[in-house]
Amino acid sequence: MTTTAQLGGSYIGADLSADLAAAALDMARRFHDGATLWVISPQWEPHAHHVAVEFVHPVIMGKRALPSVALVEPDPVAQARVASQPGDLLIAVASADQPAVVDAMRRAQAWGVLTLWIGSGPRPPAGAANHILWIDTDDPMVPATGTFVLMYHLLWELTHVCFEHPGLLRPPADESTDEVCVTCSDEGRLAEVLLEPADATGQALVRTANGEEWVDTTILGEVHANDLVLVHAGAAITRLEVSS
Amino acid sequence: MTGHTTGKESESTAFLYPFIESEETDATSLLDDLAASARAKATESARLQRESLDEYAPPLTAAGIQMAERFLRGGRLYTLGNGGSSTDAATLASLFSRPARGRPVAAWSLAADEAVVTALGNDVGFELIFKRQIIAHARDRDVAIALSTSGNSEDLMTAITEAKQRGLLTIGFSGHDGGRMAAAEDLDFCFTVHSQSIHRIQESHAMLGYRLWSVTQEHMARPLSGAHA
Repeated sequence: MTTTAQLGGSYIGADLSADLAAAALDMARRFHDGATLWVISPQWEPHAHHVAVEFVHPVIMGKRALPSVALVEPDPVAQARVASQPGDLLIAVASADQPAVVDAMRRAQAWGVLTLWIGSGPRPPAGAANHILWIDTDDPMVPATGTFVLMYHLLWELTHVCFEHPGLLRPPADESTDEVCVTCSDEGRLAEVLLEPADATGQALVRTANGEEWVDTTILGEVHANDLVLVHAGAAITRLEVSS
Repeated sequence: MTGHTTGKESESTAFLYPFIESEETDATSLLDDLAASARAKATESARLQRESLDEYAPPLTAAGIQMAERFLRGGRLYTLGNGGSSTDAATLASLFSRPARGRPVAAWSLAADEAVVTALGNDVGFELIFKRQIIAHARDRDVAIALSTSGNSEDLMTAITEAKQRGLLTIGFSGHDGGRMAAAEDLDFCFTVHSQSIHRIQESHAMLGYRLWSVTQEHMARPLSGAHA
């Protein structure tokens, strides 16, 4: 008996369609503010290329061409790190255990990049990306059946619908007030080390979602470029271990 | 990604924005509409995939068996497409060469190597980027699968003609009304997905390609001495 794959559309129920809608609105807002969309898919590079060409050269005449680039070099984390700027978007099409994607999704928070993760199989942990768009199935063949293609087609289609609602492309008021309060809250902000301290004062240059800043790293001892640290009140207070 | 549509696609979402709302502040209604639109499009995608699989069940089986016989003789698969279809062609090639399960066979996308594609495009013309590679690579036991949502891409048509002359098994995935592919005598099999939406056509192309792969795998797993039945 020939193997029959479940039809991609049958996976798009109430939950996943709501997830796609929320993701599309976030994407439209970021594009509206000048974002570039970066795309990685270390296991299935053609998916990264398909997403990029979808946004750059729309199949429907008259739709805006939007900046999007597939990052398919052997080290997509290094590529995304240097390419991305605060306010950008990053889509990964990958399984939950793909090491480079796990790493990139986490670092994106320090880069100020909004993340979307499309995949199937076991789910990434909640919060691993801003939007987790997932097919819950144990069928390993799903990536080759058009189901992911359907998902990013839908993302593209819904994102362009959002552009017809300019009043909703501004971020909600409550999100703006969140940002103002970060420095006086007890939360640490995720940062990635750009330049190691050059002397005993322990001042390192890091990047956070807000841009670059010098922070005191004396609490941590030795720090290296690309280390992930938590920054609070001008000091790096914790180093995050990177699984890879 | 081989053409443009204007009519049906925009009509299908027109109900979502009967007037431009620049003063909207509550996204709830939009998000509900978007989610409903996603489900409607997904339902249509699944319907079209089902319809395409049903319509072409016998020729898909025949084509898959012929592909398997060629792979068992050392044949390899070339996939061809432009734009988004080039990425779907690459995914299809990976399905054959690097499947998550089953037996891998030699397959690659003729759009994958930018040095080759730009060399040919620059020196001999874009319409020859695939044909010249067929001339260079092809043996009579090989297979070529061309993907085009319009069925009209010149670079694919010239490559298919060359492939047929060289004894390859030639398969076309088309869309809309089938275009030139539907009438091409150089195609041993042509699978036209009857839709006006490039997106929905591409999603069905993927499913048809997956069915071809499934048939091929099943046939290659049988003992050589066994009958085909």
